[in-house]
Amino acid sequence: MTTPARDDQPPEVTSTLLAELLQSIDEGRPVAMVTVVKAGGNYAAALGRRALVWLDREPSGSLNLDDLEAQVLADATQALIQRRPQMLAYADEQVELFVEVQRRPPTLIIVGAGHVAQPLATLGKLIDFEVVVIDDRPQYANTERFPQADRVIAAPFRPTLRDWPIDADTFIVLVTRGHSHDVECLLEVLDSPARYIGMIGSKRRVRAVFDLLEQEQGIPREKFDRVYAPVGIDIGAESPAEIGVCIIAEVVNVYRGGRAESLSDALRADRHLPLHPTRVQNYG
Amino acid sequence: MESAKGLYQKLAEFVREDTPVAVATIVRVRGSVPREVGTKMIIHAAGRHLGTVGGGCGEADVIRAGLDVIDMGVPRRVEVDLTEDISMQSLGVCGGIMDVYVERWPATE
Repeated sequence: MTTPARDDQPPEVTSTLLAELLQSIDEGRPVAMVTVVKAGGNYAAALGRRALVWLDREPSGSLNLDDLEAQVLADATQALIQRRPQMLAYADEQVELFVEVQRRPPTLIIVGAGHVAQPLATLGKLIDFEVVVIDDRPQYANTERFPQADRVIAAPFRPTLRDWPIDADTFIVLVTRGHSHDVECLLEVLDSPARYIGMIGSKRRVRAVFDLLEQEQGIPREKFDRVYAPVGIDIGAESPAEIGVCIIAEVVNVYRGGRAESLSDALRADRHLPLHPTRVQNYG
Repeated sequence: MESAKGLYQKLAEFVREDTPVAVATIVRVRGSVPREVGTKMIIHAAGRHLGTVGGGCGEADVIRAGLDVIDMGVPRRVEVDLTEDISMQSLGVCGGIMDVYVERWPATE
């Protein structure tokens, strides 16, 4: 076997890249490592070379890809924006690169520290989410009850949610002790970029709440389409732990783009039925 | 489960103490496979491996390639084919194929 002529990055560059990568992961700053995993023809010397790309600074490291370099780095940045680790191919697949996207783990915010919140926190950690629990009652929101959570916050719901840096990696589950609190919190996060908002409550109850908000606060009905309420997928859950599983299953379903049916799908489907008065009356 | 951060921290340690290791990364998958694209594993010459690309015979192939890559320094691609018929002899069968890129860290001695 002949060893292709390669132009490896010197070890100190490798160490620097590794240090920069670790620091970015540490800071929760999105970063992608690009590695040349196939290099033929004029590009043979690039095999194994690496570079890092960020969203907010210049790339680090050189791939030795000459005329392709700029395009590759631009495409890698695009992969980082889309948060998709992927292979990129150039020059009739003579050159292939792997883009490894590092993003901080998603956050699960559990609003309410009651009996459903405990299994939720445990399951949230199990699926590698950062878990935050919020409740305004310190006797519930404490680390004795939630040793597994990354943060337990005993403070009023609305201001805490208002100040929280909610982003597209944030999953919010509203399971407070009372519907009025759930609804209050819902209004706080309804326009946020959160990836997922789930709210506990029966189908009948949830529909009534949405009706009320529409009539009394003039909130357009479409706005509630993003809300997973009743929360969870349809597995017939009864106990708090089972409800925890049914909610976390929905979180995974949204996170991974699965195809499981949500309990809230029925509510969304109802909305698209023709609003014939006799049928509307049948909606308990 | 081994997080990306944990693996890179370990990798940085190996690099610091001048221990060449191989890093295997799942770069492409077709069909049903045990782990997702981007999953990594560190292969250590004395068997102090970290992480998993799915276990079973497929992983054994990757480890073998890793040991070779530590010796030779030339990165390579390993195709792990998990499409054999399901039988009692091959319980690791998932039905898909994954491409695993195996490289040495650091690339040069």
